[in-house]
Amino acid sequence: MALLEIRNLHATVDGKAILKGLNLTIDAGEVHAIMGPNGSGKSTLSYVLTGRAGYEVTDGEILFDGKDVIEMDPDERAREGVFLAFQYPVEIPGVTSMTFLRTAVNAVREHRGESVFDPMDFVKYVRERATDLNISDDMLKRAVNVGFSGGEKKRMEMLQMASLEPRIAILDETDSGLDIDALKVVADGVNAMRSPERGMLLITHYQRLLDYIVPDHVHVLANGQIVKSGDKALALELEEKGYAEFLENAA
Amino acid sequence: MQPYLAQALDASSTFAGAGVGWIDALRRAGADAYGEHGLPRRRDEYWRYTSLNALLDEGFQLSEAAPAIGLPTLPHPSVAGLATYRVVLVNGRVQPKLCALDGMPDDVLISGLEDLLAAAPDRLEPYLGQIAPLEDMPMAALNTAFLQDGMAIFIGENIILDKPVHLISITAPGEGAMMVQPRHLVVMGQGAQATLIETHITATGGSSFNNIVTEMQLAEGAKLNHFVFQEEADTSVHLSGTAVSLAAGSFYDSFVLQSGAAIGRSEIRAYLNGPGVDCRLDGVYLATGKQVVDNTTYVEHAAPECRSRQVYKGVLDGQARGVFQGKVHVMRDAQKTDGNQLSRALLLSPRAEIDARPELEIYADDVKCSHGATAGELDEDALFYLLSRGIPQATARRMLIEAFLSEAIAEIPLQPVAEDFSTHVRQWLAGHIDQPADGAGS
Ligand SMILES: Nc1ncnc2c1ncn2[C@@H]1O[C@H](COP(=O)(O)OP(=O)(O)O)[C@@H](O)[C@H]1O
Ligand SMILES: [Mg+2]
Repeated sequence: MALLEIRNLHATVDGKAILKGLNLTIDAGEVHAIMGPNGSGKSTLSYVLTGRAGYEVTDGEILFDGKDVIEMDPDERAREGVFLAFQYPVEIPGVTSMTFLRTAVNAVREHRGESVFDPMDFVKYVRERATDLNISDDMLKRAVNVGFSGGEKKRMEMLQMASLEPRIAILDETDSGLDIDALKVVADGVNAMRSPERGMLLITHYQRLLDYIVPDHVHVLANGQIVKSGDKALALELEEKGYAEFLENAA
Repeated sequence: MQPYLAQALDASSTFAGAGVGWIDALRRAGADAYGEHGLPRRRDEYWRYTSLNALLDEGFQLSEAAPAIGLPTLPHPSVAGLATYRVVLVNGRVQPKLCALDGMPDDVLISGLEDLLAAAPDRLEPYLGQIAPLEDMPMAALNTAFLQDGMAIFIGENIILDKPVHLISITAPGEGAMMVQPRHLVVMGQGAQATLIETHITATGGSSFNNIVTEMQLAEGAKLNHFVFQEEADTSVHLSGTAVSLAAGSFYDSFVLQSGAAIGRSEIRAYLNGPGVDCRLDGVYLATGKQVVDNTTYVEHAAPECRSRQVYKGVLDGQARGVFQGKVHVMRDAQKTDGNQLSRALLLSPRAEIDARPELEIYADDVKCSHGATAGELDEDALFYLLSRGIPQATARRMLIEAFLSEAIAEIPLQPVAEDFSTHVRQWLAGHIDQPADGAGS
């Protein structure tokens, strides 16, 4: 059984059709990349998969581990193992990163029937992961994403992924706004998470990220559908020719 | 006759100090001012949004003897564990057996008001009824007509009080609906420093009407931190009126946490009478059901180079209604005034409401003043972010609400009080925020 199976997905935002019959299958252990021009619906897909309010599925199916997730609330999906690294991580004044992480990790662990961490043990658990991502204790004491640079926010997303250990990780433009050093740190973090049990969906506009995280499959999203699929070579081809061809074909 | 006036006139002839000229005159002045005005109505400037119709039928009787009760377990262990001078009122009357006033430094007097009215009225005469303007505060006028007991604090020049004073005010109604009219006075000499903590709770199940008046006078350079915790039962009407007179260079910092009472009102009137005063009025409130929670302030900048800041933040659920009415009045001579006020409310349910009216009235030309009011729901982006990490809906909502209030509570300079207030907020949220409000969530 596929880890994630999206069949004929149609979705609207504010009554406007954005996804128009999208099909995609991701098996455990695979890394897929979705590329597409701005406004093609990449972020919309990530929100539909995570159940954000206002993103309405009008047709089709989303099966995660064979279970229909469309009726599941966002927090339930997350506890089942769906993770989204946000394109624009949200600032939450008044909630420290450490508390936020611990609450999330414990909610997920409890759901899995694992023991929950007390605050002391949790600090250890997070530190192990934070060090690899160049995240200081000071950042963990600060309010979630408040005053963080673009790169810090993206690394914090990776720390959340590493701490939550999802079954499927969707990374929405995790490369955007990163300089080359930060990009390498993030890519190392993602590569360390690759495993035979886990699937990944990289959403990106540029092929640069794919030099560091080599995908098994590459898809082009245009006009609300996957219009072409291939291997890594497809990303290079897109880099050269741009998306014009697909936009015209799709129109 | 206005409601409750006959009760006042009947009872006051037996109160301590009766027969002392100025005390009789003060009670009479209270009765006259209240008699002329009656209970506040919505057309009164400072009562636009809070109705006292619940008091109109004079259902409340002045409490006679206070029941003998022990000191109840206070909702807040750390403040209870804090070393303090303790004054305990039950039904508006000081309970000497429950007070703890040993070891007061020289030149400090913490006493029951009734004792002073009987034994040393001269000490009270310059202050009592001189700070709160009866014509602007009809409920203070009524309280003055009932002037009998409460707490009085005198702190001499340059004394730094070694422990906070903790005023614990317990309302314990019996069979019938009960009224209490406590009166407090705080007089601080030049350069004196003190902390006053107030806890207002209800001990028994009946309904009550608690009409509190506090007058405070701070001489030059005096410093007072004042923390109020109001957690009376939902069968209570709690009205508190505080008037503070501030001399040059003095500092007054008030923080009021209200989560109790059917109607809970804190009115603070601060008079900045000398240059260089620093006055902070902050508050946090939590209300649900049909509660009304009112924070009304009046800050009068009468002298130059003073600073006043107000931040009131609250959370309203169910059909609760919040009121913030604040006026900063900058008089002609009060140049270089720095005054601002902010009201922020979180509305957790479509039927919750806030009436916010921050107001600046400025007659000086060289001032820096600002005001603002916001009201809104929880930030959807933040909520989704927490949910997307697996945090359950109710927990996520509580985290965001707590974060919203914690910024205000973090400003409290006394750590045990800040911790207590945080704990209280967390407990309140745990007890009240378990289901998404109507229409919220996905
Ligand atoms: N909240 C929203 N309300 C209305 N339109 C939206 C909203 N979010 C996205 N859209 C529209 O949906 C389309 C796809 O946007 P998005 O999924 O963000 O694209 P991408 O991530 O590929 O750049 C765009 O036309 C965008 O304007
Ligand atoms: Mg996008």
